[in-house]
Amino acid sequence: MGEAEKLCDRVVTTELLIVGSEGAGGHAAIEAHKHGVDVLIVTKGKVGQCGASQMAGADFNVDGKTAKTLGFPGDDRDSPERFFEDLVREGLYLGNQKMVEKYVEYAPKAMKDIMDWGMRIYGYESVHTEAMARGITTAGTLWVKAIRKKVKELNIPVLLDTMVVDLLTSDGRIAGAVALDIKTGETILIKCKAVILATGGWHMAYPFTTGPYDLTGDGVAMAYRAGAELISMEMVQFCPITLVWPPKDRGSIILYIFSGLDIGTVVRLLNGKGERFMEKYDPKNLEQSTKEIVSIASELEVEAGRGGPHGGVYFSLKHLGAETIDFIIQAAKKRVKEELRDTRYETNTLLPELLEKCKTEDIEVGNAAHYMGGGIKVNEKTETTIPGLFAAGECSGGLWGAVRVASACTEAGVQGKIAGEVAPSYVESVEQAEINAEQVREILDRINKPLERTGGISPNELQKKMHEISGKKLGLIKEGKLLKEAVEELEKLLNDDVERLCVTSTKSKALNYEWIRALELRNMLTCLYLSARASLIREESRGEFYRRDYTHTDNDNWLKNIVMKRKNGEVEIGFEKPIITRIPLPSGKLTYQEAIGVATASLKRQ
Amino acid sequence: MDRKERIRVKCFRFDPSRDESPHYDTFEVPLNGPMSVQDCLLYIRENLDPSLAFFVNCRLGFCKRCLVRVNGESCFACMTEVKDDITVEPLRKDKVIRDLWSADT
Repeated sequence: MGEAEKLCDRVVTTELLIVGSEGAGGHAAIEAHKHGVDVLIVTKGKVGQCGASQMAGADFNVDGKTAKTLGFPGDDRDSPERFFEDLVREGLYLGNQKMVEKYVEYAPKAMKDIMDWGMRIYGYESVHTEAMARGITTAGTLWVKAIRKKVKELNIPVLLDTMVVDLLTSDGRIAGAVALDIKTGETILIKCKAVILATGGWHMAYPFTTGPYDLTGDGVAMAYRAGAELISMEMVQFCPITLVWPPKDRGSIILYIFSGLDIGTVVRLLNGKGERFMEKYDPKNLEQSTKEIVSIASELEVEAGRGGPHGGVYFSLKHLGAETIDFIIQAAKKRVKEELRDTRYETNTLLPELLEKCKTEDIEVGNAAHYMGGGIKVNEKTETTIPGLFAAGECSGGLWGAVRVASACTEAGVQGKIAGEVAPSYVESVEQAEINAEQVREILDRINKPLERTGGISPNELQKKMHEISGKKLGLIKEGKLLKEAVEELEKLLNDDVERLCVTSTKSKALNYEWIRALELRNMLTCLYLSARASLIREESRGEFYRRDYTHTDNDNWLKNIVMKRKNGEVEIGFEKPIITRIPLPSGKLTYQEAIGVATASLKRQ
Repeated sequence: MDRKERIRVKCFRFDPSRDESPHYDTFEVPLNGPMSVQDCLLYIRENLDPSLAFFVNCRLGFCKRCLVRVNGESCFACMTEVKDDITVEPLRKDKVIRDLWSADT
């Protein structure tokens, strides 16, 4: 046994390590297993019961023409080419066109996989465009259930409740990783030839989010620390009409989903004074305006002191009267229970409960951090800039450009499948790299420090400080002055407070939340800091990125991606033109509203 | 039932690696509106005692992994509303990893 192997409590050897077990990671593992390599899944929770996939609506895209070949009604007006063009235009031309081509090409393949694994679907319909149906709907829970079943059937080894803390490299390529067993506190050295990161976004870095508890930007931050390039870190999508109240249902997007259904056209959004405020912002389309405009409008109302007591605006159905609301409740129940056999809490219990409430009161809703458009820079083969490191799903960046215009579930499946195809050939072509004991020692030291310290800052206290900054300065509407402050403050938290993190309540290593949070905080703060830096650099507004001090969409100066990389402990910043295959980049300067209007002409709210 | 403004949450505590036997700790939690059992536990962990171990993930009934016993009855912590004092225990006291989190069955 080498020196490095003696440093951790356990040593595990595999050929391909997959970090994350759900829509992207699980799919990658199943695909890679097919290609005959040794695969190990390491997940922070349990397969099918963690991460963001389970919470998805969910929908999967496929262009109308290809849909027909899969036995769906499809649409003759549609084609892969047309789908591709829509994605590029609606992403406001910032996306990597080679990646978009792969998305369109692999969407039906990934969808077919999941259906072959037994995912039940609800129907052929699209939740993203008005012009034509372009996919299927199902439930995130049904999606991850199919993955879990397949992973089990193939006997793919999984380390549950285990957090990968950092990657190990040797001469610039992947050599392994160091992980922590959350239940026991044991450290694990994982030796491998390649790693696929499928860790999702950094949702928990925001005080108000639709994401689950385990999404803390681990993959993005560890890739950055290992020297990988990140892209589009400023692109953070906020979801309007998310429940801010009551506390027990905070973060649920069920009313947002409801408002996107055909029946959703009856929804009114009111401010604290009872005014239908969309009359001011988009008198023609009102609540049916684009998602971006609705989000910004509601934020402006709250800012002007016309919000509710919990920082939101109101979802209202009162104008319909109790009888009509009752009719809607009955119809919803019938659809959910009888037609879809959907057993989820949100659709079965929460939605009827909220609609019932709407007879007498309005529901307070707001903009929650929902989807991270940026992340680890990958190419169309999911390769990062580090040999042996791949990234799939939400933790990757570069696909969408400035708006996540289509299904993130499809993104997870497509990139998971591609990573599962590509990584095995890389694995076959290299030998296991030597593990550098010094690197392992440094990572272990970082892991253990918060437990060893006797004084400093508690993870709870640092989390509050972080949320204070992200909540006030890194929300939907951004502004140079506040971004500058956020950058300076976050830099201080990263350089000072993270180095003083101290677990005080118990030194027990089993299920020590403070300890895990301490490690996660470093990751969340890294992502937030880089997101704030990129936001400050982008002096325009585009798609889901809105700056009140630069409200134009500036195609002449800003049709470029911001790329970040760690070099000698500093952030090295570069700019890259979007990769083009078929659609040339436009020029000129448009107002934000014009740009959104042009881009989303074929779209309803999404 | 009307909702109390403050409730007492009595929690089962046990660290098999350190404690000889389990004990209970009681915390006062303000109910700022309709809150779930999990909201109360999160309040305790973020404000009163960060060492309290319990499971939390999706918070909205998707992951179905937050099973605990409330006043003796098994339930999902995120989907169970609290209106009065409660006693929270792990699902399986014979399989406790720490506090309110027992091994999956």
